[in-house]
Amino acid sequence: MIRGLYKAFQGNIMAIPGRAMAFFCLLLLCFVPLVTQEPYILLVLIFVNVFAIYAASWDVLAGFTGQFNMGQGALFAIAAYTAAILSRDLGWVPWATIPCGALVAMLAGFIIAIPSMRLRGTYFTLVSLTFPLILAGIVLVFVDFTGGEKGISGVSALCQSRVAAYYTTFIVMVASVLAMWKFTDARSSLIRTGLAFRAIQEDEISARCSGIDTTRYKLAAFGVSAFFAGISGGLYVHVMRVAGPMMLDLLWSFSPIIWTIFGGMGTIGGAVTGVFVLYPVMELLRVIPELRMFVYACLVVLIILFMPEGIVPWARDKIEKQCPRCKLINAMSRQECRACGAHLHTERKKLETVKD
Amino acid sequence: MADAFFEVQGLTKRFGGLVAVDNVSFRIDQGEVVALIGPNGSGKTTLLRLIMGVLKPDSGRIIFKGKDITRHRSCDIVKRGIAGTFQVVKPFRNLPCIMNVMVACMVTKAKRGEWTKRLAVKARDALEFVGIADLSLERAAVLSHGDLKRLEIARAISTEPELLLLDEPFGGLNPAETDLLGKSMRRLHKGGRFGRLHSEEMVMLIVEHKLMDLMKIVDRVLVLNFGQIIAQGTPEEIASDNKVIEAYLGKGVILGAS
Ligand SMILES: Nc1ncnc2c1ncn2[C@@H]1O[C@H](COP(=O)(O)OP(=O)(O)OP(=O)(O)O)[C@@H](O)[C@H]1O
Ligand SMILES: [Mg+2]
Repeated sequence: MIRGLYKAFQGNIMAIPGRAMAFFCLLLLCFVPLVTQEPYILLVLIFVNVFAIYAASWDVLAGFTGQFNMGQGALFAIAAYTAAILSRDLGWVPWATIPCGALVAMLAGFIIAIPSMRLRGTYFTLVSLTFPLILAGIVLVFVDFTGGEKGISGVSALCQSRVAAYYTTFIVMVASVLAMWKFTDARSSLIRTGLAFRAIQEDEISARCSGIDTTRYKLAAFGVSAFFAGISGGLYVHVMRVAGPMMLDLLWSFSPIIWTIFGGMGTIGGAVTGVFVLYPVMELLRVIPELRMFVYACLVVLIILFMPEGIVPWARDKIEKQCPRCKLINAMSRQECRACGAHLHTERKKLETVKD
Repeated sequence: MADAFFEVQGLTKRFGGLVAVDNVSFRIDQGEVVALIGPNGSGKTTLLRLIMGVLKPDSGRIIFKGKDITRHRSCDIVKRGIAGTFQVVKPFRNLPCIMNVMVACMVTKAKRGEWTKRLAVKARDALEFVGIADLSLERAAVLSHGDLKRLEIARAISTEPELLLLDEPFGGLNPAETDLLGKSMRRLHKGGRFGRLHSEEMVMLIVEHKLMDLMKIVDRVLVLNFGQIIAQGTPEEIASDNKVIEAYLGKGVILGAS
């Protein structure tokens, strides 16, 4: 049993450089509080964890079904306000408010899905821009309930200590991201949604004529995307301890888009990497407050110019290669495929010349 | 009259002013293999797309096993047991062939657990049946046109349809390949198990330009011209039908001999 697990670990994680690297990064993150307990660093990492879920949730919808939602912030905010109100008025603990907020966000996701089933492409994108604006209108009308401009304060803290909050958000982040990855992975053996998403992306009519209920799968993507946006919204509000209308800023909805495109769309891992790189950079840039936005924008634009697919697919191309015979992924340093022993370098070159 | 296995009643489809399918009615009985032929632009592909639910008809009804499926969505039609191929191939280009077929295998309900392995085995059987199992791990994008046609057929038959619609399955194949595929069609029609894949007397509607390749395969021929059915009968009857010869501008042209 243990040997089996070890073998699965060797074959599925250690043998694939990208996954091995992700694994070691996560392992390192486990030990951060042992090295430093600096509250500011921990707070930044807590936000990184929260926003990693947020960015990945956007990627579930945009990267896998092509629905470019520019109003993801609305889902985040719905969950945040729900959690805040439950915490303030009913005194619920975070363990109850966060899942409730996520479920309400999921419901909202299904409602948002209705126009998107009718509107295609750009038209949905344009409509999705209005979601946070409409919500902001509602928030400012029901001032008694939502606190209007001031927002809701006095939300209970996620955990007593900052270290505990760090580990909590970290574990929730890892679990959520794994869940979203499995949900969208075409080779996943747990659930078949990933394969269906790939098929729909490649050719929607073909997918439908192969018996894929495209509407149902898109709805599922909306639901899952909204649910995890909600999880991150709930976590955020319990970390900040206030819910305010700044979550309904358009910038708040654009952030996951920037992070995900920077890291690589349609990979989930790319969205997470994007947050882990860009959010700390944004914090570092606080030393030059006037130029902060400018430098940040330049960095993003440069990366996208030179790595149009995002940094994760770019890095993956550098460290991994596929065996031309059995299509297994191998480390770049290998000469021969780890399973079938085919020559990796020579045959790859041959393949490329054939393609030309 | 008893319910036909499959029946089309007064089907009409207009594209602007053009009537691509004009009040077409026909029926297919259990156990038949039917050819649908006609000159270029006569509406064969459009008719097939109407049946597959890709296009919606302006009027008319499509009845399958006693159920009206005219307004059903494509995915529901596939689940009811009608699958078809496209004349212009539409594979999932960036997926390996085997995953192309696995997508279609998902229609049949499988138990949870090791479903990927089960689907992969079945998909491989389908690829083997059409003769491209050796390419199963290649991306569909690198396949030749003839192989893509076969991939398309593998995808259609792995939904285990009762009625199979084929749009020019022999297009792009050489005579030897045509012969082989024709034989496979016959075997599918007779029914049986092909590994995990099974068919029970698959009824087929095969669209072709020329009758020649189909002479030995089909029981009955429908001839379409300007969206209307101008003749139907056995292949021999059709080959000597005056109206058909006129539509095709000569007898040799129908058979495909030059
Ligand atoms: N989507 C469409 N929009 C407009 N016109 C169309 C469309 N699809 C087909 N047509 C027209 O409908 C007519 C019938 O086309 P169809 O493709 O069904 O013919 P076909 O019998 O399959 O021809 P071929 O033998 O060349 O495949 C043609 O005149 C074609 O130009
Ligand atoms: Mg055609």
